[in-house]
Formats: sequence, structure tokens, C-alpha cells
Amino acid sequence: MADSLSSIAKIRVREAYKSFRQANGNEVEAIKGLSFTVAANEYVAIVGPTGAGKSVLLDCILGLKSLDEGSIQINGREVAHYAQVNKGRITRIFQEDRLLPWLSATDNVALGLQIQGVAVQERRERAAQWLEAVGLSNFCNAFPSELSGGMRQRVNIARAFAPNPEVILLDEAFSALDEITAARLRGEFRDLAHQQRMTFLIVTHSIEEAIFLAGRILVFGAPARLVREITVPVNAAADRLKVDQIRDEVRAAIADGVRTK
Amino acid sequence: MSAEPSESATPATPGARSTCSVGRRKLSQFFPVPLSWKSILPFVALAAGWEIASFFSPRYLFPGLGAILTDVWHILTTWDLLYQGLVTWGRLICAVIASLILGIPIGLTMGMSTQADEFVRPIVKFIMGVPALNWVIIVIIWFQNTELRIGFVLLMLCTPITIFCIYDGVRSIDRKLIDMVSSFGASGIQHVRLLLWPYVKTFAFTAAKLNIANAIRTVIVAELVGASAGIGKELDLAKNVFDMAMVLAWTLIMVGMLLVMAKGIEGAERVVLRWRSETRARA
Repeated sequence: MADSLSSIAKIRVREAYKSFRQANGNEVEAIKGLSFTVAANEYVAIVGPTGAGKSVLLDCILGLKSLDEGSIQINGREVAHYAQVNKGRITRIFQEDRLLPWLSATDNVALGLQIQGVAVQERRERAAQWLEAVGLSNFCNAFPSELSGGMRQRVNIARAFAPNPEVILLDEAFSALDEITAARLRGEFRDLAHQQRMTFLIVTHSIEEAIFLAGRILVFGAPARLVREITVPVNAAADRLKVDQIRDEVRAAIADGVRTK
Repeated sequence: MSAEPSESATPATPGARSTCSVGRRKLSQFFPVPLSWKSILPFVALAAGWEIASFFSPRYLFPGLGAILTDVWHILTTWDLLYQGLVTWGRLICAVIASLILGIPIGLTMGMSTQADEFVRPIVKFIMGVPALNWVIIVIIWFQNTELRIGFVLLMLCTPITIFCIYDGVRSIDRKLIDMVSSFGASGIQHVRLLLWPYVKTFAFTAAKLNIANAIRTVIVAELVGASAGIGKELDLAKNVFDMAMVLAWTLIMVGMLLVMAKGIEGAERVVLRWRSETRARA
């Protein structure tokens, strides 16, 4: 499957290596020989143990960090160049909302558009549309301190969608919320995402979330390397048996990855 | 998506006020500054003690409250005297504004660049170490112009405070917010405009408040030594004739000036930093 996708890959990570030097001088590997591809409009989840370098990978895909070796390409172009030229074409939904406290909900959603240089009127209109899409049309002028945790996360989601990106990276986007709000937001996010033609790379610790949101799960070992690739059948999340089967498969793969460091 | 009831906004309702009756209003509702009987009582006791002392002491040591208040009224209603107060006030405001204009870019640069920090920090620390009176002597030798002398002294005393306040602000920015803005591909200038500057505004207000208190002490010393106008000069004249009532009258006016300026800054803070929940609660 990876081969057939690679010809039309939206994201292509090839033999990536990345390490850090700690304060005590020790070298720590974050990414070790990682290769995978994500096709256009595909929903791919990444699961793996804590410290598997998943967030570092997202930083590298955004061009915020550079690899030591290997390459990351978006639409066939090196990511550092791509991110520089195409502001806001790849966006990220963070675990914490990371809203700017001095901006209203509208202005927070419009932040990416402002950085892109979109005119004030247009960006306010587009931000208002996205706030409506996430059910916050009555809170356009509210500051983050006036919103609940779930509402702030909705603004965070709207902010990532507003610049109309090609790729959205989810970095444990629902893990900071309580389970009920997280489940509701997950469902609403999936509905919203299906209305767009975008590619989603979803980093999560929740196997259920990966099954619910993604069509393919990449299981990482620590440091980040591909241990296993699992295809999620359509509507698998509705089938309890199927969910249990995939969950067991993912757990076994994670355990394998941890064992074979 | 819809915002469900369980996700309702926190009860931040800026317009909401308790609807207590007029008869039960607190003292603070009638004054621009929050007052309570507990905070007034020490001043009442002090005034009473002073008044009693004035009965048993010569006027040049403890003038009566009536004489002091008469002088306050005389200052406020006599243009020549009021003008001296306004001159000092104008110098203070100019010094605080100038220190912000000069200190904010330096503080921002130091916060963003380690090299700039390493280069500028020793100079700023050196300037901070020079006592105010030394600056007064230095400017008397350096400059002929009185305003230049006083302005320079105030700038030397206020700017380092602004610089370090802004520097601390920049250094305390949450790294995650910087990453968030970077993730949209923001340029260096956009980082400053969209993140750094709005964030350090809070620290600029802190610097302004510290500088007012700092400058009001120094401006009098500078005026006393080298100015032909201002409260410092008036205090010098009062000192020469042992007019304690006038000295105290000017002192009261200066405290009033300080309170008015602090209140003005708080008002500006409420408007500029209205996003802060505590600012809304205070409003």
C-alpha cells in the first residue's frame, strides 16, 4: 500500500534521523531511520510509547526543527522550503489550546490568516465562519479567559482549519480534555474534517482515538521508527469486536517496538 | 460542532454589578480610589496627633492643619504657584514616557538576542548603580539647559527599570506560544508584532508604575539643585524662610500628583489589558 501511495504522497518521510544533546551532554535519539508516506486526503494516526519522538516529528514536518539526516517532503518539495513559501499550508492542533489571551476568539482563529497577510475584513469573515462551524458563533468577541476548556479547544481547532491548509497535524489534540468532552469533540472534529479535502496526521496516545479518526495507523517504537502499519477498515469504530482486535494488534506492536530498541 | 451547556462560559460578566441600595453603599463607591474606614483611620489619628502637637510647638516645627490646608488652597488657586506644580508634573510625565520609548526597544532586543543582552546588560547595570545625586552633579557640569539636566537625570534613573521589566517580560513568554506562532510560518517581525509586544505590554505598565514612584523622588532633588522652576525650587524658597506649612502643602500636593498619575496608569491598563480576567473584575 505504501508503494502505491508514494507516487502521490502528500507527506513523504525518508530515512529520517534526529537526535538531541541533553544538558548533561548525553546524546538522545528522537527519530531513528523513520520512513513513511501519507497520501493526499488521507487520515493517518501515529501511536507509540511516550518519548517516541512523535512531537519532534511534527516539528520537523512544520519546518520548525531540521533533521540530522534524511528528508521530509511535502508535495515533493523539501519541507524547510515548503513551510517558508507556503505559510499556513500546514497547521497544527496542539494538545493545549495555546490561544493568545489578549485576542478575542475571532482574532485567535484569524491568526494564521493574519500571518498569511489576508486583509482584515476577509480574515474576520472567515474566522467568524469557522467559529460558527465549531458552534461558537455567540462567543466571537470573548477572550480565552471567558471560555471553558472545551470551548478553547474548539477555537484551537477552528484556528487550524481557518487558513484552509493542505495538511493538519493533530498533536494529542483531545488528551487534555475530560473524556466526555473529548469524545464529543472527536466526533464533531471527524464530521468537520470529512467536509474538507485535507490530509490529517494524527498523533495520539489513545488507540481508540486512532481507530475512530484514522484510516491507517502507524505504530512507532522509541526512538521514532516505524514498527508496524495497520489499516483500519471503514466504520471499524462502530464494530466493538473489530476495535478490540485492532487495539490488541496495536498494543502488541508497541510492545514489540519497546522490546526491540 | 456546538457548545454544549456543560461547556458554558465562566461567569465573567463585566457589566454585572451587585444591586445594593443607596443607603448600603460602601465608602469606596463615592471615591475614585478605593477607601474604607480602616484605611482612613490611621490618617485621622495622625492628623489629630499633629494638630495637638501644633498647640505646643512653634509654627516652623508643627504648623496647624488649618495653616497647611490654607497653603494647599493658596497653591491651587494661585496661577504662579500652580504653574510650578504643573512644571514638575510635566517633567515627570515626559520622563516616564521617554523612558518607555527608550527602554522598550532596548529591553525587547536584550530579551530576543543573547549577544545584545551580553553587551548591553553591564552598561545598564552600571547606570543603575550610579546614585541619583551623582547624576545631578554630573548634569550640572555637562549641560547648561535646566530641562536637559533634569530630563537626563530622570531618564538615567527610569530607563534601566523599564529595560529590565521588558527584558523579564520577553524571557517569561511561554515557549509553547512562540512555537504556535512559528507553526503558522510567522516572520521575525510578525513574532514581535503579534506575540512579543502584546505580551510585554503588561510589563511596560509595571515599569511605568515603578518609574513614577522613582521619578517623583528624584525630580525634587534635581529641581532643588539645578532648576529655576518647579516644586523643588518652591521647596527651596520655603526652606529658606522656615515655612513648614508651605513645605507640607507642597508635599501633600506631590502625593496627590502621584496618586492621580497612578490612577491614570491604572485606567489605561484597564483599557489596554482588558483581556485579563482580574482587570475586568476590578473594572
